[in-house]
Formats: sequence, C-alpha cells, structure tokens
Amino acid sequence: MTKKKSEAANEDQTRDTKKKSVSAVKSSQKEKPVLAKQVKSSKEEEDLLLDSATDSDYDGDSLSGSLNSDDFDSDVFDSEDDASQKETEGGDKDSSEDELELHGNEDSDDDDEGEQVDSENDEEDGSDEEREVAEESDSSEDEVAPRNTVGDVPLEWYKDEKHIGYDITGKKITKKEKQDKLDSFLANMDDSKNWRKIYDEYNDEEVELTKEESKLIRRMLKGEAPHADFDPYAPYVDWFKWDDAIHPLSSAPEPKRRFIPSKWEAKKVVKYVRAIRKGLIKFDKPEEEPNVYLLWGDDSASDQKSKHLTYIPPPKLKLPGHEESYNPSLEYIPTEEEKAAYELMYEEDRPKFIPKRFTSLRSIPAYENALKESFDRCLDLYLCPRVRKKRVGAHSIINIDPESLKPKLPSRKDLRPYPNSCYLEYKGHTGAVTSVSPDCSGQWIASGSADGSVRIWEVETGRCLKVWQFKEAVKCVAWNPLPDFPILAVAIGQDLVILNTELGTDEEQQKIEELLRLGTLPEQDEAVAAIVSWLPDETYGGIKIKHFKNISYVDWHPRGDYLSAVMSAGETRGVVIHQLSMHKTQRLPIKMRGLPVCTLFHPTHRGMFIIATKKNVRVFNLQKRELAIKKLETGLREISSMAIHPGGDNLIVGSKEGKMCWFDMDLSSKPYKTLKNHPKDITNVAFHRSYPLFASCSEDSTAYVFHGKVYSDLNENPLIVPLEILRGHSTSSNRGVLDCKFHPRQPWLFTAGADSVIKLYCH
Amino acid sequence: MNGEGEDASKVIHVKFLTKLDSPFKVPVTSVVIPSSVTRLGLSSIVNSLLTLEKPEAFDFLIDGELIRMSLEQFLLAKGISAERTLEIEYIRAVAPRKEEKPSLHDDWVSAVDGSSPRFVLTGCYDGLGRIWSSPGSCTHILEGHTGAISSIAFANSEGAEGVTVATASKDRTLRLFKVDTAESGDSTTRVGAYKILRGHKASVASVAAQKYGSKVCSGSWDCTINVWDSNESTSELSVPGKKRKGNNQAEEPQLEGEAETTLVGHTQCVSSVVWPEHDVIYSCSWDHSVRRWDVETGKDSLNLYSGKALNTVDVGGEGSALVAAGGSDPILRVWDPRKPGTSAPVFQFASHSSWISACKWHKSSWFHLLSASYDGKIMLWDLRTAWPLSIIETHKDKVLCADWWKGDSVVSGGADSNLRISSGISIS
Repeated sequence: MTKKKSEAANEDQTRDTKKKSVSAVKSSQKEKPVLAKQVKSSKEEEDLLLDSATDSDYDGDSLSGSLNSDDFDSDVFDSEDDASQKETEGGDKDSSEDELELHGNEDSDDDDEGEQVDSENDEEDGSDEEREVAEESDSSEDEVAPRNTVGDVPLEWYKDEKHIGYDITGKKITKKEKQDKLDSFLANMDDSKNWRKIYDEYNDEEVELTKEESKLIRRMLKGEAPHADFDPYAPYVDWFKWDDAIHPLSSAPEPKRRFIPSKWEAKKVVKYVRAIRKGLIKFDKPEEEPNVYLLWGDDSASDQKSKHLTYIPPPKLKLPGHEESYNPSLEYIPTEEEKAAYELMYEEDRPKFIPKRFTSLRSIPAYENALKESFDRCLDLYLCPRVRKKRVGAHSIINIDPESLKPKLPSRKDLRPYPNSCYLEYKGHTGAVTSVSPDCSGQWIASGSADGSVRIWEVETGRCLKVWQFKEAVKCVAWNPLPDFPILAVAIGQDLVILNTELGTDEEQQKIEELLRLGTLPEQDEAVAAIVSWLPDETYGGIKIKHFKNISYVDWHPRGDYLSAVMSAGETRGVVIHQLSMHKTQRLPIKMRGLPVCTLFHPTHRGMFIIATKKNVRVFNLQKRELAIKKLETGLREISSMAIHPGGDNLIVGSKEGKMCWFDMDLSSKPYKTLKNHPKDITNVAFHRSYPLFASCSEDSTAYVFHGKVYSDLNENPLIVPLEILRGHSTSSNRGVLDCKFHPRQPWLFTAGADSVIKLYCH
Repeated sequence: MNGEGEDASKVIHVKFLTKLDSPFKVPVTSVVIPSSVTRLGLSSIVNSLLTLEKPEAFDFLIDGELIRMSLEQFLLAKGISAERTLEIEYIRAVAPRKEEKPSLHDDWVSAVDGSSPRFVLTGCYDGLGRIWSSPGSCTHILEGHTGAISSIAFANSEGAEGVTVATASKDRTLRLFKVDTAESGDSTTRVGAYKILRGHKASVASVAAQKYGSKVCSGSWDCTINVWDSNESTSELSVPGKKRKGNNQAEEPQLEGEAETTLVGHTQCVSSVVWPEHDVIYSCSWDHSVRRWDVETGKDSLNLYSGKALNTVDVGGEGSALVAAGGSDPILRVWDPRKPGTSAPVFQFASHSSWISACKWHKSSWFHLLSASYDGKIMLWDLRTAWPLSIIETHKDKVLCADWWKGDSVVSGGADSNLRISSGISIS
C-alpha cells in the first residue's frame, strides 16, 4: 500500500507542475490580447465603447494573471522534461491532426471539464460575431477563481478524505474515483489526445491543452517570444527624421575629454608600473641555473660564444718551461753555432725566446723589447682593431676540408722516371763544392770548389780524372755546350779561365789548342779594356780573362762561341760577353739597372739574352740593341738563380727566401706559379734538357725535383708536380746544397754540397 | 696426446740424395728429422752422417728449389705434403772456400777477364793491361794506351804458345796484343800492341771477341758498335812513328786497323758488348736497351727495354739464351728472349744496394751467375732462389769488374786497386 501511495503522490506532483505550467501559459496567452486590444482601442475608441467596460475589468485580472505567471516561471522550466517527452510522443499526431483538433478540442472540453469550462465555451460560442471580444472574455473567464476554494494548502491534508476541498458554495468537492492503472493506461493509449491532457490536482480534474497552448509552451521552451506573431527582430524604424536635418542634434563642442588621455587608464598604468617596479609582476620565467656543469670543460668555447657573438678567445699561452728559467740547465742553452744560425734566419722564423743563463736573479737585465713592444701595442690599439683571421684548417671557423683545396695532380708513379735515390758520390774536394757542370755527352762532369780546385769526374764510376788547382775559390764552372769542343770556363775571383780538358780526339785537340793560343789580340774598346784584359794562363795553358770585379756567374751561348760573365759588384758594367773565336769582349749594348745576379742565353732564339738582377728579370735582344723586350715581375726579395726551359718560353727563378717562380713568358710577365718549398735560400735551379723535369737546391741541404711539362698546345698551361725531396747532403758551416745540374741524357741529378761531396741521384 | 705426440707431428721423413762422389755420399736411408730445421741444421745432419774430417757446407734442393727457410715453412710455402718421405738433394754450397792473395795494381782495376783457365787478364786505370798466371804473379804487362783501360778480352786463347789480347781504352782506341805464354820467367815482360784499332770518336767502353774467329767488336761512348778484324796479315797500313808526341817510348812497328762494320742503333753510350755466338752480338747501352745484333746484316734482331741505364750484359744460362743485365739501379735482371710476346724480365735479383757494374754467367752451369756492384759486394746467384748464394765482401771500395775463372773461382777488380780471387766454389 505504501508503495502505491508514494507512486500516487509522485503522480500528483507531476500533475501539479503540469497544471501550473498550463496556468502560466494561459496567463501569457491573456497578455497578448490585451496588447492587441490596446492598439485596437487606440484605433477605434468610439466603436468599441461597450467593450471598453469589459476591458477595464480584465485589466486587473491580467495583472494578477501576469503575477501568477511570474510565480510559475521556474516551474515551467521544471516541467520542461515532461513537456518535451510528450512532444516526442505525439509529434506525429500533432502535425497530422491540426485541423481536426480545433473542433475536437471544443468537444472534449465539453465532455471532460466541468461547468466552468462549459460556461467558457458557451460564452465563446455566444460572442461569435466579435472574435476579439470573445477572446477577451475567454481570458476574463480564466481569472474565475478555481473551483476548489481551499486555498494554497498542501493537498496532503486531503489525502485521506473523500473530497479535495470545497467549492465556492461550500459544498464538498468529491474526489473522482481513482481509475485503475491498467484502465487509465489503456484509456491513454486509446485516446490520441491523451498527451495533451494534464491532470489538475488542485481541482481534481483533467485539463486538455489546446493546440495553441501547446505551441506556446513549445516556443517558450525554445526561448522565443511566446506568441508566434511577435517579431523580436522587426526592422528598426527611427523615430527621428534625419533627412532634412542639416545641423547636428547638439551644437555643443567636442568635449575635452575626447582629447585627453583617460585619467583612469593612466591610473591603471601607473599601478601596473609600480607593481612591475616592485617586482610584483614578473614577465619572464626565472632562468634555470643548471645544477650540473662540465667542470673540466673548455670555458672559452660554447658558453661564452653563445653569450657574446664577437667574443674572441685570447690565444692560450704556452706555459713557461725550464728553458725560460733564469738559470736553465746547460742543454737548453744554444751553442754559438746555433745562435749564428738563428741570426741567418728570417726574423719571423727566428725563435722568439733564446734561453740565457744568469748566475742570480739580480743579474737579469731589463727586458730589452719592453719599450718597443708597448709602442707596438699602442699602435695596434690605435690603428687597427683586432681582426679575426679566417684560417683554413682543422681549427678554422669555416669548415673546409684542406684536402679538397689541394689541386688534383697526377700520381708520381705515372711521372717516372725522375731522380730519387743516390747511388754514386764523387768525393775528393776538400772544400764546399760550389758549382758542377756535366759535359754534353754525360760522360764527364766538372766541378769547382771553394778549396780552389776544379775537377773532372767520370760519371759512370765516380773517378776523378783531372784536377786543376787555383789559388782562389772557384765560383763557377761551365762546360762548353759543343760536343766536339771539350773546354771549361771557370770563374775564379776576378779571372775567367778557359781550360782545355784534353778529352777530345786529336783533331779536336788541335783546334782547341789553336783557339786557346792568344796571338795578337784585336783592338778592344777603351771602355772594355778598362774592365777586361785577355791574358794567357801560364799554369794550365789556357786563357785567362781578367776582370775588374769578382766574377760570380758564367754562361755559355748554346753555339759555344760566346760566353757571358757576371760581376755582381760591377753594377751597370756587371755583365760582359766574350767571344772566344775572336778573343774579344763586348759590353752589353743595353743600359741595365740593378745588380746582376745571373744571365742566360736563350736556347733557341739566337739574339735573346736574359738578365736577372736582384729583383727583376729582363729579356733583351742583343742584335736590336733595344730596351728590354720584356720585364718579368718576380715579386721576390732577392733572386739567386735562374734556368730556362729548353723550349725557351718558360723560365724558373729561384730566390733567397726559398721561393721559386715559374714564368710562362708567352703568358704573362707575372709568375705562372710560385712554389714555396725550401725553408732556406734556394741556391740554384735547373731544367732537364730532354725529360720534363726541373729541380731546385737549397741551403737547407735538400734538393727538390719537380715534374714540369710544357705542352706544345698554347692553350694548355704547364703542368707542375712536385716529385721528390732529395736528402743526403749534410750541412757544413750553415750551407747546404750549392748547385744542382741534370745529367744531359739520363733523368739523373747532380748536386754539389757544401760538405764537399757531389752526389748523383738516379731514377 | 702429450709431448711425444707433438714431436711426432713435427718430424719429417727425409731421404738425402746427391750427385756428388764418394766422400760426400750418404747411405740412401730414410732419416727422421724435426721439421723446424733450417739449411744449417740439414747441413750439420748430413755432415754427421758423412763423418767428414772437415765439415763441409751444403745446399739443399727440394723439387729443384733451394731451401732458404726452415723446412716447415718451405713445405708450407710450396704446398708439399710432409706425409711421404721427402727426397732432399744436396749439393756442396756455392761459396768461396778460399780467398787468394790480392794482387795490387797501381790504379783502379777496371776490367778483368777469366775466360782462359791459364791466365787472368786485368785492365787498369793506369793504361796498362796485365796478365796474371796465378794470384800475385804478373807475367806480362800490356802497354801502349794513353788512357785508362776500360775493357779487356782474350781475342784468341787457342794457341798453345801465344794468345791474343784485345784491350779497349778511354783514349778512344783498341789495341791488340800478342803474348807469348811459353816464355814464363820470374820477371814480367812488357808487351806492346801489334795493332791499334782507331775509329771510335769517344771512349771505348767495352770489347768482346768472336769465339772461334778473328774478329773483335767494341762498344763506345759514341753510341756505336764497331767490328774489327784482329788478324795481323790483313792489316794494310803500317804507320811507324805516326804519333805526334815525340817522346813516345818504343818506336815499334804498329799496324792500324779500321772498323769492318759499324752497328748503329743505340742512342747513348754502348756500355757493354758480348759475342757469344759466331755472328750474334749482344750489347747494352745507357739508352736503357739490350740489343741483339746480327753481324752479317748489321741489324738488331732483338730489343729489350729495361727502363734503366745499363752497364753490363751477359748471355748464358739455359741453352745460353738467357740475358742478364745490370745497370744504374741495384737490380740484376734476367730476360728470356725465347719467350714470345713479353719483354718483362723473368728474374729480378735485388739484394745489392748500388749500381751493378758487372754480371757474368757461369760457363758450365745453367743456374749460376755472379754480379758485382758499387756497394763493394760480389753476389753469387742461383736462378732457383731469390736470395744470393753467397756474398763476397773482400773489396773495400766499388767493385768495377768481376768474372768467373776456371769454373770455381771468382776474379774481381775494383776501386781499391786490387785483383781479388775467391776460389773453391764448387758448382756441380
């Protein structure tokens, strides 16, 4: 039983809410006709004088009604679920039975409801002719007090009674008989309009909502205006006509506040600024200090770099060692020889610190370079900012593989043969060998030494064949290039001696002896006679040509008759050309600047003569007596030697700073290639007569052999490939290899060392 | 599987064979020896088997190859099974057993010839040729050259009482000497040339004589090879006292000969010539080639290119057909011209450390040759191994020339002015 009761109570509650919502709907429905009526009344006040009385009646009702609706507002939304449920249940019917409902509605009203509803309908029916009035009366009917007069008391009080209250006359309103659940369900199912029926608990009756009412509810649920005719978005009709208005509505000037910054904004900003200053507002997150770091890492690397873009880490200084002590042990102290060697080096190559020994700290002198260095530093700071050099290499900033910068050169194996190993030595000199010269067949080689001897060696066996001893050191020896004219030109001090080697056949000997016999000398120019005199050489039966200065270099013309001698100290008169067949000497027909170092006769062009002065190389034409045809700008500090390719178009120049320049004389007056190989002075350079080889020898006791191929095709540049470093000579008194010459027919190189040995490097 | 088993795995059954005669013959029985023995070990085993009074050095051959490492390594290297009984042939080691007294000259010894068993000929830088009958005893001095002698050869050693000697010199001439060998006294006789061969324009580097004929050929620095007639009768010109130098010693009648044929083809100095057959001359030159000349036609029928300047050439070996040459590098090369289509050397011996100045094939052996080098060493080679059989280091300076003598000695001359004879070399 208790269960049933509770269920009943629940049902009652839901019904109650439904009823309330219905009443709310009804009240809202009433409002609208009031509005409409007002408009109408304004229209036809006189016509509807009768109605106005009723209107006034309703006014108060409508108010009460509206109050009611206010009360129920919340309830309407409570019952939303039920209503929506019902909607879904009867949605189909709703649409299909629009027309029918109107009549049915009336009928059902008649059937189900009590007298009051009937009276309503009656009244409606009665006022058929004027719809609006009827509607108004309908609404007025609604405000007829409910049938039950118990008031707003909990209905629970009447739960156990047979009545639910009292009507206006004081009679008990008896409860309707409770339908069986099953019966009511079946009835519900049968009645298609059941979804519209609401049970009014208070009056104990079922109310059926009209179609309009349900639509109202639905619209309200959607949040729209309850009445369908009300347009919330009606176009705005301005009440003021702007068309003919010339002047603004107000002629007041623009207020000042439009132009000044807002005081309140300023206040707000000040507030923020204060907060920021005080640190109450923080914009960036505090940086996280890494709690672990690389203790032994290089602190100059990534860390600093990322913070300062232009940070240049200072170079790390070498820590001072024992040698920098004021009293280092003896092995650190350089010997006198080493010191002398340092003196000979270029300043940049010289070691920065030379250990010295002092007996006590007191005896250490002041730092000698202090003033100079501080001055340099000032200049440095004043004149030039420190520039970061972009070096190429492993530690460079730009990452270029240094290997990729190397030119692609053919393999050394493909360039054989070239001299690479020393098998033969020619020993016998007691002083540094200053000059060597092989004869044109390659059977003999002549050498001159600082001990004053000239020797001829057999190349094949290393046997010394002949020795001539002179009083002064031999500067230069040169073998006559003609094969049937085996004579030697030797430069000794101021003398140029022509020696007969006696290696030719009998007829050749005869010719040579004839040539070397000085008969009546031809008349020499005065200028020439002042500097050169031809004399017979008593000791060895040759010719002695005496010069006014020491001769440093001798070169034969390829035809073997002319012979040039260079006197470095002779300046403008420093080069003379002797003609052996005429026993005559000529001065150069050209004016010459600078100190001559060496000269060359062009191998193919007969009149061409090349003179190297200390800085430049000039090419002359002896026959035309012109100024220099060509001047080669070497860019070298001091030229020491020069050699010409047998083709005649390419020239190599060796310099005292260890550089060698290759000139392609057809190409340009600038060097085609500059090779910097030797750490010390280059003493001589040489071309091979037939193989594509050239070599340089230097004071560092090495000789370098290069492949130097000159192509007959003018479009192709000469190919230069370094091949071999020939070591073996020892340094004696700071001098290394003094001369190098190629064997005329084999790819072999003779080197003359200051260690008084001549070496032959074979392939 | 203990120590005994291991020992068993490392022993080899060998049988020693030899072609030597009785004192050196071991009984043909199988012997068990450890596999780690080397040549020395084998030699001592054979010596103990022979029970000789004086120990003898032997060399061992397996399948025609000389053993130069331990037996085990050798078998592994050659892929020979150690299961079966190994047959090892032994020969007396090719090494000089005796060093003769050096014969001192006045100057560098530049040429030596040992082709006659009775004499050794030497040429010297003092311009004199010498004939030595035994170490230290010079029987004849051949004089006349004004320059150093560069080469010397027996032109005709058949005559019982006299031999003909040809010398080549750096004074651009060749001289022919007749030496009467019958008169053998204690004192040395001075012999003058009976014929002077002029025609070369530069130093003559080498001379060689026809084996059974009267012709002589010479190579020179003027890039030519001249063929001369050495006969006395055919020479037409007699030029006594033609020499300009008045102080010339003996005004003896001298014949002058001119070249019969000149073989032109080399582009540089012809450093060595050999005349092994009747009309075939081999020559080598500094132009890096070895050529074979046909004397009749004067054409070269073979041209071997070596890549290095060559100083010396010799023909010998198997069928007297192999060409050995050495020059401006430490490698002695051997070519086989019979092999068609290839000019690569078949053997290269590279134990020297400097230029090779002389190489000579042994006259009777197919395998043995010697080489002399500027490093002061003479090396004896066997074609069957890449190592030198023995190294003779008696010279103190460059060795300029070397030759076999009497089949069991090596004669050599060098820059220490000595003729040295190493004898007792047993070549079977």
